[in-house]
Amino acid sequence: MGSLNTPYSIIFGGEFMRSEKARKNIIGYIFSSPFLIFTIIMWLYPFIWGLIISFKEWNLISPNQPWVGLQNYIKVIKDPMLWIMVRNSVYFMVVFIILTTITSLSLALLIKQIPKFKGLFITGFLLAYVSSGVAYSMVFNLLFAGDGMVNNFLDIFGIEIGWFTNPNIAMASIALIVCWKFTGYYALFFLSGLNNISDSLYEAAKIDGANAWERFIKITVPMLNPTFVMITVFATITSFNLFTEPFMITGGGPMNATKTLMLEIYNRVFSLLQAGYGSTLAIVSGIITFIFVWVLRKFIERDDIYE
Amino acid sequence: MNKLKKYKLPLIYLVLFVGLLFSLFPYIWMVLSSFKVSGEIYTQLIPTKLTLDNYSFLFSGGSGQQRNFLYGVVNSLIISIIPTISVIFFGVLTAYAFRRLKIMGYKIYENFIIYQMLFPGVLFLVPLFLLMRDWGLINTYTSMVLRYLIDPWAIFIYIQFFKTIPESLLESARIDGASEFQIIFKIMVPLSKTTTAIVALFTFMARWSEFLWPLIVNKEYGKMPLSVLLALFTKGGYQQYPGVQMAGATLLTLPIVILFIVFRKYFAKGINFTGLKG
Repeated sequence: MGSLNTPYSIIFGGEFMRSEKARKNIIGYIFSSPFLIFTIIMWLYPFIWGLIISFKEWNLISPNQPWVGLQNYIKVIKDPMLWIMVRNSVYFMVVFIILTTITSLSLALLIKQIPKFKGLFITGFLLAYVSSGVAYSMVFNLLFAGDGMVNNFLDIFGIEIGWFTNPNIAMASIALIVCWKFTGYYALFFLSGLNNISDSLYEAAKIDGANAWERFIKITVPMLNPTFVMITVFATITSFNLFTEPFMITGGGPMNATKTLMLEIYNRVFSLLQAGYGSTLAIVSGIITFIFVWVLRKFIERDDIYE
Repeated sequence: MNKLKKYKLPLIYLVLFVGLLFSLFPYIWMVLSSFKVSGEIYTQLIPTKLTLDNYSFLFSGGSGQQRNFLYGVVNSLIISIIPTISVIFFGVLTAYAFRRLKIMGYKIYENFIIYQMLFPGVLFLVPLFLLMRDWGLINTYTSMVLRYLIDPWAIFIYIQFFKTIPESLLESARIDGASEFQIIFKIMVPLSKTTTAIVALFTFMARWSEFLWPLIVNKEYGKMPLSVLLALFTKGGYQQYPGVQMAGATLLTLPIVILFIVFRKYFAKGINFTGLKG
């Protein structure tokens, strides 16, 4: 207790301590009551309400809200669309994780080696990160259009890619543009990870006769584990919650190739007014995300990186 | 070997520079296209003649409808600035109560905040919309900002900072007769300038770019933030105006890019905390 050494506590002793504690408690609860009330009304209450709606059939308007038990859940799981969306998300995840790891790790490794203009390059590469979803979706939609700038350029080599129109690669294209946004951001994390590795580790490995590649795999990669975990967890959560990019560019098409759970929830609830089904979908989406994050962390996360 | 070393550094700079060009290309193209005449957008990288038509089209309200983008900018500012101020105010207040006044059960609350951040937002979308509807708040600014007035993430990073302030400083202020409220605003707030800058920057950026929530709770063109207005404009009957689209995208991007460049120092400091931001 820091207050033990103050003149007040010396003079008034324990009694002062008790009343001081009560005073702090009362004031503290007054200060934090907005947060506590806000959390109950805007967080806990909606959370429980969402659970309840998921067991009902309801069209958002009618006063009639019959309980249907697990029916919504059975419908969601039996709907082939759910598995199409999970497939799309996994596709996004795989492409995004691979692309982003390559681009941001390479960037970090390069920036680490330069003596000058580090800050300038970091700032430059971070500019993509601050772009807002609607704006960059619009830009890439035009850049990657059938007769857009990118295809005009590729035309020189006789290549034409239906970035957002070919169902096989539409989701990969979305992963590509999200990767564009996050490369600088994750490079910054990789860079601080690299800076935390002490040179003595590399020196020791050199003496033991490890070549550059071995040093990279045995020292650098394990030490960057926290950033790999971050990218993976982020990719997982984002893949199911992807909304702005498919909404702006593909609308979930072509042939449902870019349909995500968030997009489907939006359509179900706000276009088709199926509040019950939409809520169920949200909860199922939350559960799937949780399982994916948990399993992937089991595989990737390591505690023994400092061994 | 020596020859290789000599060329290594210039080569790295070259690769980085080319990479940076790639990374900035969408921005460059966006800004250039916003000044192009419509025929040149797909065919010409560097415009042969510049025009302000795209921007004047945006601000004159398109084809005479009430889709005025000037209102969009004002609306975006409203729904970004109000939550930013509120998040800072309640963030400081709550973090101080938890970490410095150590109210009963503060450890439980602090752990709760961390779990709260891990909950996916999708779970709250539908019930929060229903709440807004039942309270009669649809198509109001209140519905767009209410859920963002307090942010557990901000409380979390204020707690991290308040941990580092010595208790003796606060005790001596108390002996001098300062109230807890005065301690917060005369001592804690001035000391936590960096933290406040981080919270303000990230909150403002997130609210400015917000899309899904204002799309759901507001259908009135006059109250739409720029992001929603622009999205509906693009998806609506204006697809044939790529130049106007890019003018709008520039308008949406420019403020946060400027903000980022001005406050980039704080950005680098705050980025370590963003992994937890939901």
